[in-house]
Amino acid sequence: MRKILHLDMDAFYASVEQRDNPALRGHPVAVGGDPSGRSVVAAASYEARRFGVRSAMPMARAVRMCPGLIIVRPDFSRYRAVSQQIFSLYRAVAPLVEPLALDEAYLDVTHNAWEESLAVTVARRLKTEVRQATGLTVSAGVAPNKFLAKLASGWRKPDGLTVIAPERVAAFLERLPVEHLWGVGPRTAERLHTHGFLTCADIRDRPLDALQQAAGHQASWLRALAHGHDDRSVQPHRPAKSSGAECTYPADLTTLPDICREVTTMAEEAAVWLAARTLYARTVTLKVRYNDFTTITRSHSATPATREPRELAHRAVQLLDRTEVRHRPVRLLGVSVQNLSDTPFVAPRGADVDTGDRLPFE
Amino acid sequence: MDLVVRKADLVRELQFFQQIVERKNTIPILANVLIEATGDEMVLLATDLEVTLRSQTQAAVTRHGAVTLPAKKLYEIVRALPDGDVRLEADRNQQNVKVTGGQFSSKMPTLPREDFPTVTEPPDTPVVTLNRSALAQMIQKTQFAITGEDTRYYLNGALFVLKPTQMTLVATDGHRLALVTATREGQPTDDEKPILPRKALAELGRLLADGEGDIAFQRGENHLFFQVGNRLLMSRMIDGQFPAYEKVVPKGNDKHLEFERDRLISAVRRVSLLSNERSRALKFVVQAGTVEVTSSSPEFGEAHEPLAVDYSGPALTTCFNAQYVIDFLTAVESDVVSLDLKDEVSQALLKPVGVDGYDYTYVIMPMRV
Repeated sequence: MRKILHLDMDAFYASVEQRDNPALRGHPVAVGGDPSGRSVVAAASYEARRFGVRSAMPMARAVRMCPGLIIVRPDFSRYRAVSQQIFSLYRAVAPLVEPLALDEAYLDVTHNAWEESLAVTVARRLKTEVRQATGLTVSAGVAPNKFLAKLASGWRKPDGLTVIAPERVAAFLERLPVEHLWGVGPRTAERLHTHGFLTCADIRDRPLDALQQAAGHQASWLRALAHGHDDRSVQPHRPAKSSGAECTYPADLTTLPDICREVTTMAEEAAVWLAARTLYARTVTLKVRYNDFTTITRSHSATPATREPRELAHRAVQLLDRTEVRHRPVRLLGVSVQNLSDTPFVAPRGADVDTGDRLPFE
Repeated sequence: MDLVVRKADLVRELQFFQQIVERKNTIPILANVLIEATGDEMVLLATDLEVTLRSQTQAAVTRHGAVTLPAKKLYEIVRALPDGDVRLEADRNQQNVKVTGGQFSSKMPTLPREDFPTVTEPPDTPVVTLNRSALAQMIQKTQFAITGEDTRYYLNGALFVLKPTQMTLVATDGHRLALVTATREGQPTDDEKPILPRKALAELGRLLADGEGDIAFQRGENHLFFQVGNRLLMSRMIDGQFPAYEKVVPKGNDKHLEFERDRLISAVRRVSLLSNERSRALKFVVQAGTVEVTSSSPEFGEAHEPLAVDYSGPALTTCFNAQYVIDFLTAVESDVVSLDLKDEVSQALLKPVGVDGYDYTYVIMPMRV
């Protein structure tokens, strides 16, 4: 039986801000942008959450719900520094650490540097170390697998420590709503609900073909989760599959030069990211959200893969021709790179073969 | 609006609008055709903001007005009606239109005419007359070489080169190039080189196929205008630099081969069945007296078929994408086609032999194997 921890910092960005600025302590704080614009809440302190302020909520709405809200601009370099501190503590103990975000990780502590056989003791000691090193609190979930560990860490926050021992798994899952299952988003949840699957007990006990009707190919996976089974391993070096940036603008972009400039900047940022990892990207994807919120993506794949800023920017800008940005105001733009590899030339199998050689126009 | 129109007339016009309106367009009114009833005709208009078509047909108008209706649904309905008259009758607020024919009656909601985009009108620039059948030939022989969705947006169309005494259409996807030149008479023009989008070219091809007589061409600041009979096609030009096509048309290809077109296309089709599924590579093994067409693929095996040719030069082997060869052979009508080679790696030149009225040049870049 494996021993997995899920460690999740409490209101991470907001907590860092409150730690570093005593004037913010005890007050509702939201990290994010200007409420008069279109920014969203990146993190909310627990004082702010009491007013209903949540992450990803438009800042304008957060201010309406919580009039005394103190808004702090994000400072990711500081958050990243704290994150590195925390992860070095984790890595000193656990051989397998899988980062999910700056403030969130899975640890496999079946074997650990402290030779501690009780995972709950590892979790307790790590919580103390994190608090001593950073002054911040972390909530921990302890369970036999990733799915249950993540459920457990969210059970009691902040500063929580929840253990789901193997013998308590069934009881824990009994009344768990289906939307807490890993992989169930709003759409799947709705389909499950209309078919009468409300809790894990329903998924576990009702016939599999009924579940298949509601959830399709996800059925067997959901059935496994509902039994508390999840054999995904903790992967310390999950290779990056893509990288990208997007931006919602304070005012709609309406002119092509402005749009090209933004796309170019984002493509160049992607090039920097690729260069830092010595990777090449074969695919560039452009995302456009128009002012009526319809959102489209356009991709282009080409061999050789590249990380040249100018080439990536060129490929991204060309994709604008397959959008309606000339005629419709643009609310959001995004550029991302996919199909990453270590070399510009990928193995021909399964990849696009360059059929003919090119006509020598130049 | 209240009008009566002959079913056959309306179906004929509406079918030209089916490719103009976009299936996946996110602006609802662009799926609609604008219908205006004035005098004794109905005017139809649709646009995707790049390509716009306007046409008119005779109608008995009892009440003037304008409505917009979904182009596809209207076409499906009218096409299904019995032969005879069709009546389109809008209610007072122009919010619904009754479409009736025979015993059938239907009612469709409209979208407001005011929401329909305004279209660019033809400018005051000189009108140039173009020969219909020459232009139709040129389109048919080049449009297949335009790339599908290329990020090099200037390749998503064909270059239209209009000179005082001749006109040329060029299309390429960067691997092969199709070029047709025809002589023209009529008023001389300044040299023009607009790039015409693929969609406009396809629509123009359809319009040219219906009816007879020369067509009128005008160039505006950003748009091109083609008046074909009672239909006016307006297209935005592709803004960009088309590649220097003259540079890739080979001059010194001294190894000349001629084939019966039927014989060659059958052989290429058969042999390509066993070509590599991804590359579609087809080898032409040229020797004195024969050209052997061969293919091989790791999954399926290999194939070859010899063709007798009148050739006594040095042996060489070159390799093409089978599809590019088939595209050319199906676009031409001549009994004999020629293939001119320089060496194994330089551009190959394909031409129909013994045709009048136009000059067709097709260039393929060999594959390296």
